Amino acid sequence: MAETRRRGGLHNLGTVVSFEVRRTLKRRSFWIMTLSVPLLLVLLVTLITFSNSRAFESDSDVGRVPVTFTYADASGLVDPAVAAAFGGTPAADAAAARAAVVAGRADLFVAYPDDPTREPIEVVGRDVGLLGGPNYVGVALRTLEESVRAQVGDPRVAGILTGAGEVDLVTYRDGAVAPGWASVVLPGLFIVLFYLAIVMLGNQMLQITVEEKENRVTEMILTTIHPTTLIVGKVAALLVVGVVQALVLTGPALLLPSLLPAGALQGAGLPDDVLPTGADLAAAIDPVRIAVGAALFVGAFLLFTGLLVSIGAVMPTAKEAGSAFGAVIIVLFLPFYAFGLILTEPRGLASQVLTFFPLTAPITAMLRNAAGSLAPWEAGVALAIIYGGAALFLALGVRLFRTGSISYDQRLDLRKVLGRRGARA
Amino acid sequence: MDDTPALDVRGFTMQFGAHRVLDDLSFQVRRGETFGLLGSNGSGKTTTIRALLGVHPPTAGELLVEGRPYDPAVHTRLAYLPEERGLYKKEKVLDVMTYFGQLKGLSHGEAAAWSLEFLRRVDLADHARHRIDRLSGGQQQKVQLGVTVMGNPAILILDEPTKGFDPVNRRLLLDIVEEHKRAGATVVMVTHQMEEVERLCDRVLLLKDGRAEAYGTVGEVQDAYGGRMIRLTFAGTLPASPDFHVETLETNYAELSLAPDADAQRVLRHLLDAGTTVRSFETGRTSMEEVFLRIYGADATKEA
Repeated sequence: MAETRRRGGLHNLGTVVSFEVRRTLKRRSFWIMTLSVPLLLVLLVTLITFSNSRAFESDSDVGRVPVTFTYADASGLVDPAVAAAFGGTPAADAAAARAAVVAGRADLFVAYPDDPTREPIEVVGRDVGLLGGPNYVGVALRTLEESVRAQVGDPRVAGILTGAGEVDLVTYRDGAVAPGWASVVLPGLFIVLFYLAIVMLGNQMLQITVEEKENRVTEMILTTIHPTTLIVGKVAALLVVGVVQALVLTGPALLLPSLLPAGALQGAGLPDDVLPTGADLAAAIDPVRIAVGAALFVGAFLLFTGLLVSIGAVMPTAKEAGSAFGAVIIVLFLPFYAFGLILTEPRGLASQVLTFFPLTAPITAMLRNAAGSLAPWEAGVALAIIYGGAALFLALGVRLFRTGSISYDQRLDLRKVLGRRGARA
Repeated sequence: MDDTPALDVRGFTMQFGAHRVLDDLSFQVRRGETFGLLGSNGSGKTTTIRALLGVHPPTAGELLVEGRPYDPAVHTRLAYLPEERGLYKKEKVLDVMTYFGQLKGLSHGEAAAWSLEFLRRVDLADHARHRIDRLSGGQQQKVQLGVTVMGNPAILILDEPTKGFDPVNRRLLLDIVEEHKRAGATVVMVTHQMEEVERLCDRVLLLKDGRAEAYGTVGEVQDAYGGRMIRLTFAGTLPASPDFHVETLETNYAELSLAPDADAQRVLRHLLDAGTTVRSFETGRTSMEEVFLRIYGADATKEA
């Protein structure tokens, strides 16, 4: 063959990556999906801000909406003047006052027990919907609190007794102010990125090996390029697509703080400093934790890609592969169910098992790395397990694809495939 | 000219579990010839091709393409039309053809230009920017054919090439195969269509029970499984003779197979002497279809 050209190991890799990236980016559904996420995010943030703001307003209204009520005070703590200011008048007959509310002739009756710290205050009100109840309770409690406050006399004592004290916590590490929650943000971003990658690219990971089978194009492809080249090319293309999606997604997220109007957070009932400032983040940068987070993210991405490639190679159709994908997702996000345990007892048995079991290692290690509780040796072992698992799954996926991809209509028998090498003479 | 065979199969054995599909099979395909790989369903033809192209690892034996195991990075001018066919259905025709052209070593520009030229030839130029799943079955077949033969292949391996093709595409495919044959390409056809074998093939291999049942030129195989034939139309009766055996007998038509030392002239004289009115008298060889039926008749009946 005069025109034969000899190529390197991953012959045609660039062609595969280019084809796969171009056809994904040309797809209208890809852009609808990709752009809809930041749009939904903005919509969600707006809704949350709005409803938090409404909730905050409602919360501050509790006990302040004027209501006429009668009360019976066995404790002797209620000041009639304070009660009158809230709309209350003493009930001459507690039973009759209670009956008047039950009959709908009065709005509210409150019975203060002998010792309100030991017995509940009885609040009987006319139904005005679910949101009316808290106001009744607020009126009853505030009447009592204000009466007690007036009796104490010293507003500081009264304030402390009603829990009004504030605390300003500053911790130090190595002589400098410790960054606190701000240090979690950057390493923690990798968990969010990984979650989004699985949600948005999981289906494409499955399709890596299913598509050729479903379209019956496997033999044409396998006799033109090595299966390793095809799969590595598709995984690389997926990474490129993932980067494009990450850029589209993180753009609005990074701009969000500057897009929020002044006082929006306060309006939403959140303290102004709930979002770390750029200076906070700069002070919180821990290059080692960020590097470990990035390495865990890439390894986790490859591990689950390898796993899904293997599943896709075994299943005859995307539909059948989809059910296995569900099981993978459950195992993948299992550590979130043990979130509290992982953070409070990072050296506990459960945390250790989850850190070193290949399928739960990525999320657990990323969580612990973000929280600063992943020791260097643990990070090393977890990374070795994750990258080793990724290599193993990808190699298995290639082998299953080579053998199983021409079993177009049937699920692959793993025992036959894995035993085939042994049958060779 | 390099005399290394285009394809060289030595001692090839393939076993799936306890089932031995092929057993110590050896054959060669010479450069520039058109070779027919024949056999009944399940005789191992497709398995042989798949093993040759590295899809299945062989249980034993050596399968070489131009003197070395098949390597897609090296054998970029080998074209394969598999029995199971398909393309990326949601992609555009030109994109898919260009992609396969690039995989075969053409530049993007060369592949696109070749594809457009081919699409013009098969009246599909207007569909170049259409998605493949928007094309009819026949149009998809043409695209598949284009993908197969692009890049001026030196070796063409066609597994059941006309299977599922309508007559128009069948003729197109056979014309293209003949063009490549004339241009010096090596062609391997796996087929059940014996008229295609007679029209195109120089040599054939017939597989039976995992082994080579017959291997040689088409003429040699025809001779071995029936040899020379006489086809005649006649009136009257057909006399018996040690020179021939009646293979087919209808009202006024018969096919006679000649004994090895018999002479057609002597048979004709014998018929005329016996008073048979001979209206037409044609000598030839046993058809490949008859050869196939003789070899696989029992298997074919079992399959049916």
